[in-house]
Amino acid sequence: MRSARKSATSSTSISESSLIPGRYFDGRSAAGVDASLDFGADGKVHVHGSVIPLAFPLSEVKVSERIGNITRRISLPNGGVFETPDNDAVDQALHTLGLQQGSSLVHWLESRWQIAVGSLAAIALISVAFIHWGVPAIANWGAEVMPAKVDSAIGSGTLDVLDNVAFRPSDLEEARQQELRGRFITMANPLDDGHEYQLEFRHGGFIGPNAFALPSGIIVMTDELVELSKNDDELVAVLAHEIGHVRGRHALRHMLQAAGVSSLAFALLGDVSSISGVLAAAPALLQAKYSRDFEREADGFAKQWLRENGVAESSFDAILCRISGSHGEERDEEHFDYFASHPSTTERAQCPKEEEQPEPEG
Amino acid sequence: MNENLSEGVSPLLPSDQHARVMLPFEFRGSGGEYFRIWIVNLLLTIVTLGIYSAWAKVRRLRYFHGNTYVDGQSFDYHGQPLAILKGRLIVVAAYVVFLVTSQLYPLFAGLVAIVIAIFGVPWIIMRSRKFQLRMTSWRNLRFNFHGTYGGAMGAFVGWYMLAMISLGILFPVWVRKRVEYSLDNAAYGSQKFTFLTRTGTYYRFCLLSGFLGMAVYFGIIFTIFRLPGVKDLIYPGAPPPTGTEILLAFGMQGWLLIAGGIVALLGILGYYQASFANAAFGGVQAGSQYLRSNLRAWPLIGIYVTNLLAIIFTLGLFYPWAKVRQLRYQLENTAIDSDGNLAAFTASAGEGIDAVGEEIGDFFDVDFGI
Repeated sequence: MRSARKSATSSTSISESSLIPGRYFDGRSAAGVDASLDFGADGKVHVHGSVIPLAFPLSEVKVSERIGNITRRISLPNGGVFETPDNDAVDQALHTLGLQQGSSLVHWLESRWQIAVGSLAAIALISVAFIHWGVPAIANWGAEVMPAKVDSAIGSGTLDVLDNVAFRPSDLEEARQQELRGRFITMANPLDDGHEYQLEFRHGGFIGPNAFALPSGIIVMTDELVELSKNDDELVAVLAHEIGHVRGRHALRHMLQAAGVSSLAFALLGDVSSISGVLAAAPALLQAKYSRDFEREADGFAKQWLRENGVAESSFDAILCRISGSHGEERDEEHFDYFASHPSTTERAQCPKEEEQPEPEG
Repeated sequence: MNENLSEGVSPLLPSDQHARVMLPFEFRGSGGEYFRIWIVNLLLTIVTLGIYSAWAKVRRLRYFHGNTYVDGQSFDYHGQPLAILKGRLIVVAAYVVFLVTSQLYPLFAGLVAIVIAIFGVPWIIMRSRKFQLRMTSWRNLRFNFHGTYGGAMGAFVGWYMLAMISLGILFPVWVRKRVEYSLDNAAYGSQKFTFLTRTGTYYRFCLLSGFLGMAVYFGIIFTIFRLPGVKDLIYPGAPPPTGTEILLAFGMQGWLLIAGGIVALLGILGYYQASFANAAFGGVQAGSQYLRSNLRAWPLIGIYVTNLLAIIFTLGLFYPWAKVRQLRYQLENTAIDSDGNLAAFTASAGEGIDAVGEEIGDFFDVDFGI
């Protein structure tokens, strides 16, 4: 066909052009006709259908981007489209005319296995680096930029929600509450980090012996924890841990990290998750990892504070072991390390002998 | 300028308008080819902090549309990356606003989320159907979608509520209404589609898979609790058994039973999905052309399960092959039951003249990627 065309037009200026076979659709009906197209050296695109020859200036014709080997679409200014499976011929013709398509680079990348393997390695490296360093670093930076006021806004409604669904008012005597608050104030006052520290007591109900910090600086301790403690130093150790959360602005950083992980997960799995929800569990696993890192940071703060203030570090270990014992935590927890929101107690504390093996649950 | 072209074409088309022919769909892409496209575009997306994802989406959809053939001609996708980017930025902004609000005012954010779910999702569904279909062409004619917001509210929220109020009795009607909304409002050129599948068909496969599923599920539970090993383990006041105790108590019998039950449940799931697809696509009429869909339960679930396992064991890398396998099976079991006169499809008024890429400039014509 090519040679036939060449010999037929050998006297004209379009000797370099060649006919590309395809089909022409006029855009008015679904009917199509077998046709052929050539990018003429006269600056015009010619469509030779079995019905009517068409010619349009090259500048008014739009050639679709090449992807894999899908049908190439050449859109004409009359609303018609010439479709051809012969991608190489189209590329050759465009090349001859000195026309570079912006997308041809992407197609070049997409058609090579070496590039694909390289891309895969790059994606893996970037993802791991992003999770290990990028996300925490971005979150730290974000927390530094934002004033401490932001913390009081985060989770300001949390205590109300918990009061509604879990807590009852504390049964602890007022005098005992004041005593503990007094100790808490001596701990919190010297910090002066922009948070308004405040200690609250609640009856924990199904939450049991526990304490937690709201980002604003409110620390809630359950009656059950006060009962579980053997001396006030143990409660001070817990308070120091919770202050570590507030001071380290873990809630804000957790939020920022969640946003970072979500965007990575969206980038990687946005496409895949439609076929497999299984992989969507990854962000939750990462959140648990970051959460454990925060616990370690708060533990570190607590132990340092205890050392500096002359309180026995063993108080921290003792109360932690007793809490985990009362929650029936299993000793082989490390096997499921990646799912846990807290590091295992064996990692966090040296449990005293009598609490090393809690009674099997019955 | 070339009005006479289409007239000139007509005589060339098959003259025998009475003999009906089956025109099967086919998929000509390959998993390996799509893998390279996918991975390169993924890297570009990450490196550009997500901006390129809109371009990647266009390339992906063009790859799948362009490799889908029927009657020798492929589909094409005309979505513009900037319109998609716009949609994605709106979604991301809304998500960030929600994330922050839910931390500051959890109850308020929860309420807003519910209101959006009820009133916003139908609107988003309507808009994205419109975008998807308008951006799809075959033989240089665009598809279209005429569904309204009210229609989407009725199908997705109204009928859902009725299904709930009726304690599930109207559930199959709801399933059908959703499909009807998507297909009965679709059009190819000026030819509107009609959705023919009757409500009875939906009741038949919904009830059958529901009853079979429950029978298998409760059958297994019932039998397991009557296994001798299990009966020894569970009695009033017994301590909670450990994992190892449960493993041993089931015995060979118990595990065979559970394995058989899982296979049976998967088969029922496959039956439901195949029936759903057949009822949906097999019910489409466009003028004198009809779609036929003939998926089967076991091949479908076989592809689904092996895909899932392969994706898990390759940490996601099998995804492109999985997608191609599933699509190929689905397409190759779908066909147009045609009278041979595809030229009868014409462009709707005011359309088709400017196919060169005048996209709809409407601000809201964005793709939310649903």
